[in-house]
Amino acid sequence: MRTWAPWVGVLARLVVGGVWLVAGVLKLPDPAENVRTVRAYQILPESVVPAVGHGLPILEILVGACLVLGLLTRLAGALSALMQLAFVIGIASVWARGLSIHCGCFGGSASPTTDAQAAYPWDIARDVGLLLLSLLLVWRPRTPLSADALLLPAETEPRTRTRT
Amino acid sequence: MAKKRSTATRRADSQAAAARAAAIRREQERKERRRRSLVVSAVVVVVLVLIGAIAYGVQSARDSSTGSAGSGTTPSGTVGRYGVPAGSSSAPVKAVIYEDFICPYCGAFESAGRATLQKDIDRGKLQIQYHVLNFLDRSSSTKYSTRAANALGVVLDSSGPKVAKKFHDLLFENQPQEGSAGLTDSQLVDYAVQAGAKRSEVESPIKDGKFNDWVVKGTDAASKAHVTGTPTVRINGKTLPVNSAQDLVVQIQKVVDAGGNQ
Repeated sequence: MRTWAPWVGVLARLVVGGVWLVAGVLKLPDPAENVRTVRAYQILPESVVPAVGHGLPILEILVGACLVLGLLTRLAGALSALMQLAFVIGIASVWARGLSIHCGCFGGSASPTTDAQAAYPWDIARDVGLLLLSLLLVWRPRTPLSADALLLPAETEPRTRTRT
Repeated sequence: MAKKRSTATRRADSQAAAARAAAIRREQERKERRRRSLVVSAVVVVVLVLIGAIAYGVQSARDSSTGSAGSGTTPSGTVGRYGVPAGSSSAPVKAVIYEDFICPYCGAFESAGRATLQKDIDRGKLQIQYHVLNFLDRSSSTKYSTRAANALGVVLDSSGPKVAKKFHDLLFENQPQEGSAGLTDSQLVDYAVQAGAKRSEVESPIKDGKFNDWVVKGTDAASKAHVTGTPTVRINGKTLPVNSAQDLVVQIQKVVDAGGNQ
């Protein structure tokens, strides 16, 4: 690996983790609004809508914090990728059904958006980008400046050291 | 015969043994590191799950729209629990209109349609059922949406639909800006009195938020009916497309002119 390569991972952690943190924190103040936003997608059955509305921001914050700290990077990266995939599918589904809603990605209430259709491609493009960065972290979870490096001994560390 | 091996062979043998021992030791160390990693990871996961569970409980408890369903009182005179009627219930056209008192688009729609729609109501051709929501509560610093909607419930409950319609119109004519503190409770009482309500009857229920729970439940019901924004106008269950405030009025007027035959 070239010397700059691990730092790409650090950047990916900060970008993806930072976005999750912001998205989660902005959703915290109004749980009822989150429930309505989840419902507006008209995908999940009503029985699970409140649970997702209440739980999603917390999961976002936990995953975001793990990524920023570099804690359990592979697991957090995998969860992050799965969530991004779910959002891409959700937005694409809303788009395909011709519903006009605000994605609610960073909180905010579902307002009558006349330009909703124009926003969907950008929402999806952003989420696909974050999905790819998440997958990078699943593939190469070891990065400098991470809690993992402090807590978990690297399995291959001694061998690479003797090689140099 | 084994005892007759040369020194060189013996040395090679012992080296191989040492190498094997080192390999075994390395393997054991590797396993030990792996075990430690798994234990540390498991502990971290357990801690994170606990934090998440606690936070989830807090979020659920903070959401007043879920749980304790059916509690709280409904103002008398509503149509279908959450509708505030304007106009005769025998009118051929019934429009269900979802509004938030601080939503600027609702204000634009109200001022665009005030004269036309009031005429339709007066002629008995149209009944509007207003559903007032609070989902823009964070657009004011004082939960104006909830307070104003509660006040409408109070006025309907105490003074009937005619006064309630007047009060509703007054609030939109004096609509506060998004992001402001909204009208004060005293101002809401003053407008209610101006519309024709008795101060003694509306003052304390407006200030105490007598029908706040009704507003929260009504907003939740609207969300469950797939209302995702305000204003939303539905006639016979069909949502009118929102192009502009003026166009929305024109669409309603078309249905009224057709006598309800869309």
